[in-house]
Amino acid sequence: MRTIALVIVLIIPLLALGDDLGMSPSIQEVKKQNEKRLLDMPGVVSVGIGRDATGNQAIIVGLDAPNPKIEAKIPARLQGFPVVIQAIGSLKAQ
Amino acid sequence: MADDFDQIQGILGTHRQQLLKRANVVATGIGYKQTADAKTETLSIVCSVKEKVPAARLSRQDMVPSAVDGAPTDVVQTGVIRALQAPTGRFRPAPGGVSVGHASITAGTLGCWVIKNGQKVILSNNHVLANSNGAEIGDAIIQPGPFDGGSFPQDHIANLTQFVPISFQGEPSACQFANAVIAVFNLGCRMFGSNTRYHVSKIKAEDNLVDAAIAAPLNDADIKDEILNIGAIQGTVAGELGMAIKKSGRTTGFTTGVIQQVDVSANVQYGAERIAVFTDQLLAGAMSQGGDSGSAVLDDNNRLTGLLFAGSDTTTIINRIENVFSALGVSL
Repeated sequence: MRTIALVIVLIIPLLALGDDLGMSPSIQEVKKQNEKRLLDMPGVVSVGIGRDATGNQAIIVGLDAPNPKIEAKIPARLQGFPVVIQAIGSLKAQ
Repeated sequence: MADDFDQIQGILGTHRQQLLKRANVVATGIGYKQTADAKTETLSIVCSVKEKVPAARLSRQDMVPSAVDGAPTDVVQTGVIRALQAPTGRFRPAPGGVSVGHASITAGTLGCWVIKNGQKVILSNNHVLANSNGAEIGDAIIQPGPFDGGSFPQDHIANLTQFVPISFQGEPSACQFANAVIAVFNLGCRMFGSNTRYHVSKIKAEDNLVDAAIAAPLNDADIKDEILNIGAIQGTVAGELGMAIKKSGRTTGFTTGVIQQVDVSANVQYGAERIAVFTDQLLAGAMSQGGDSGSAVLDDNNRLTGLLFAGSDTTTIINRIENVFSALGVSL
């Protein structure tokens, strides 16, 4: 019993420290780490943060047109965050 | 009491002229009489007035009688009735939401009036007021834009005072070190009789936050500090996911949408050849077309949240207004 209590007491600060060290990156950080690579893929026109069909925060990748080849190269999740692909068309200055 | 539509129409025909002559009356028609909040089932002659005035302040001949030949009347305040003017027209004074442009472009939208060094100036996009980096400070700004028939000097409304340069991919580099190295290479090429010469290009341009510029009016009397079909701006607000937004623009007029994405990085085409990368953008659904660029984007409470500049058939891309204001050093 004492051992368990001791272990808990020792683990709690470690968990808190883990958060401080950024062990679970935010969706903003994950998007930032991956956006250059995504935007350099042919046909990818945008990378942003929105919501998926169930309302969860998601990384949204915009394509100039539907493109199964490129879509197959985009992971369905990035570090746990859902990735949604949308064909939004070429973005032009208006 | 006359409650039959045809009968009231006849009575209105007889009395229309004398009703319209009364002070404040701007229109007459037939409608259901309205009490405080509710609509009644009683057909009446509706007199629209510029403003409702207490009976005590009206002369007898200006007062709308409570009934005319047995037909009840109703007085409704509508304000002055004006012809609706298309945003592509010439406006003096000019509000936000109307056509504007540098003399070398087609037409964009005058976003709104903002303050720079104590002076009210036009806010729009670089590619509207400064021809996508192609303009000189002091160049003439035309309202309406050239595509809408505006010309110099008749429609000259302002002069370009400042723009945030757009960084395009593959442009000649301004890096002095790289250019110096290449100059040595080219000297070598010349010395050895080669016809090859090297140029330094940016492989990846710097990221852009805004496509923005301002222009100072020639005449303060040309300033109308509100937005067509929206009204006066009530401060600013940071754009957030799910926020309902609206804009008033030169091509599609008043439209509404929702912010679907934030923190957006996007590759945006300028003409057929140039691409610029933008970061920290807002993205909404279809609410604009070519010519709407420069439109001010507001929330439901008329708070300014962005500057519209790009899009596709399904999508609208918007600069955050806080980035626009800090890049240009302007405020409301």
